[in-house]
Amino acid sequence: MTFGRWRLVRRLDTDARTAALTRVAGAVGALLLVGLLLLLTGRNPFWIFFEALKAIFGSQRGIEGVALRAIPILMTALGVALSLRMKVWNIGSDGQFLVGAFAAVGVGIHMDGPGWLVLTAMALAAIAAGAAWILLPALARAFWDVNEIITTLLLNFVAIQLVTWSALGFWRDKKAAVIQSTEKVPFTLPDLPGSKSLTVALLVPFLIALALWWVFRSTTVGYEIDTIGGNPRAAGFAGIRVRRRILTVMLVTGAIAGLGGMLQLSAPGAQALNAGFSAQFGLSGFIVAALAGASFAGVIGGGVFIASMFYAGLVLQTKGLSVYIIFGMYGIILTGIALGEIAARFRLERADADGGVDESGDAGGSGGVDGSGDAVLEGATT
Amino acid sequence: MISAQVLALIDNAFLSLVGSAIPASTVVLLAATGAMLGERVGVLNLGQEGLIGVGAVYAVIAVLSWGITSPWLALLIGMAAAALAGLIFAVAVVVFRANQVLVGLALALGGVGLSNQLGTNRNGTPIQNTFQEVSLGGSFEDGSVLEAFLFHDPIVYLAYIAMPVALWFLLFRTRHGMNMRAVGENPAAADAVGVSVMRSRLGYTVLGAALSGAGGAYMVLSFTPTWSPDIARGRGWVALAVVIFAGWRPGWVVAGALLYGSMISLDTTAQARGWELPFFGPSDLSFFLSMLPYVVTLIAILIPAGAAKIGRRVRATAAPGALAIPYWREER
Repeated sequence: MTFGRWRLVRRLDTDARTAALTRVAGAVGALLLVGLLLLLTGRNPFWIFFEALKAIFGSQRGIEGVALRAIPILMTALGVALSLRMKVWNIGSDGQFLVGAFAAVGVGIHMDGPGWLVLTAMALAAIAAGAAWILLPALARAFWDVNEIITTLLLNFVAIQLVTWSALGFWRDKKAAVIQSTEKVPFTLPDLPGSKSLTVALLVPFLIALALWWVFRSTTVGYEIDTIGGNPRAAGFAGIRVRRRILTVMLVTGAIAGLGGMLQLSAPGAQALNAGFSAQFGLSGFIVAALAGASFAGVIGGGVFIASMFYAGLVLQTKGLSVYIIFGMYGIILTGIALGEIAARFRLERADADGGVDESGDAGGSGGVDGSGDAVLEGATT
Repeated sequence: MISAQVLALIDNAFLSLVGSAIPASTVVLLAATGAMLGERVGVLNLGQEGLIGVGAVYAVIAVLSWGITSPWLALLIGMAAAALAGLIFAVAVVVFRANQVLVGLALALGGVGLSNQLGTNRNGTPIQNTFQEVSLGGSFEDGSVLEAFLFHDPIVYLAYIAMPVALWFLLFRTRHGMNMRAVGENPAAADAVGVSVMRSRLGYTVLGAALSGAGGAYMVLSFTPTWSPDIARGRGWVALAVVIFAGWRPGWVVAGALLYGSMISLDTTAQARGWELPFFGPSDLSFFLSMLPYVVTLIAILIPAGAAKIGRRVRATAAPGALAIPYWREER
């Protein structure tokens, strides 16, 4: 494709930095489009933007509000990002998150003992439940080659119904009158020093991100997973037990999301399960993972960003924004990310740089190594 | 003698279950057929949930705000709105070759968000101009099994009879259909013999989106004639599962949709007959049954795949070879 003196050149290899930059650029472009749409529908995007900034950074409450939402979003995002390393899409993190909370509340309201013991048991139950929830899709994907997108997603609906049933049915708190929910777990996680509403739960996603980063940097397992993500057939020929790795990784992603449900449940004030327990955190987490492109440091950054947007949306609900608009925005942002991702595969080049001295430097200097990997698109788009 | 009576009873119960599933399955049938059409040419549109929402909300807007009195016209408007949303999706994934999973999820999220926002002021307002039932074979007593099968609105007949037959013929009995399948299986080969991959993918993705939108519009123009938030309630995702279950074959899509619908109507049947769940309270069965459609749909996908792996005699119906893979001519 040529534009006057410039042409689009396709690269077959994209470095991670460019890819990340274009994804973020896509997301920012999408946000600008959202602003324009808000303007066209008679809302003032600048006012909304500054109100959002004020709501978040104006008080400790705002910052803690963001951190509180960041925990479930980060936990689901870490699971999705891990599966994306292997090019597996776990879209059921919302369901795994919910059954994690479900298992935690079940243990919490039935078990007697000291607080630390009950909370540990709750965490273990949540991890087991999250993994169990993805077991069937994982087995089907690993051994029967059944696509995991739909199977993981269908189980979200089952989880929502199960949680609703427990809150309105078998674990319902008969004393609570206003909101129908399960009985309350009497324990919460220890407070984070110096904060009003946060617990040590905030540390967990950071620790998991660190652990995952280490696994992929320094262990054979991490290397094998990346190899499978690159080319599963080649990985099989190299002696990697592909099916077994797929199964393990999917179970771990479910376990992380399940633990996220327990952390959310153990926040002061939550402690019980109701039908609206997960505000579709799994979807927010999915967007974070897509934005971060399976980089765990990126997940932390993206998670804080999406959590800020989520919190701002909640605060500004009374001022002309609604949850619906936030989800509509998510859609536009996700499209922006996907388009940014594809933009990273192209490079603008001077059309006259072809035969002569290459002015861009890198291609010419390395003896055309970079250039040979590029396919020139000149009206060759189908 | 007794066994014959029991058999007749079971038969009757089964038939009435399937019969009452027909209207409940129509939305899923239309959306699944729309999704299948796109997937046949290699485009996976995960945005069905959003397309149903957009189709439904614009049909509602057409009736309540634009004064459209004909349900047919409202249906067309809903389809056109969903086709427009599908066009945005198709341009992103076919022209720009963006990741189909990401943009599909974006369409699901954005479509649900948009339709909920547009529907906010129209919550619960009843829609008067609905499709009317027509008999397909004389008259019969109220509540009879025959009525459950032969007394529906025209959309049901179109969706269950005309559409699958027409699509089957198009896909498997015409050259154009063969080209479509080639684009979905091996776009490079199709391209080499002069079939335009891009035109085919764009066209059938948009047409498929229109069909999914028809599902949403049908919902508010006949099945539950009023707007309510999150109107698709997972039907879009079930539709995508039905396509896999059906092995991308139009006739089997009908069977898959009816299976889902039967699970839905099982709940009403159970409530009407006062069934109870053992070990639980009287209201628990309904909660339990509300999980069933999704569980059964999931199992329905897994069984053929598992059977194909275990028993060698069952042939798996594989997905189109190039499903969800963008086509670059110079990479063939």
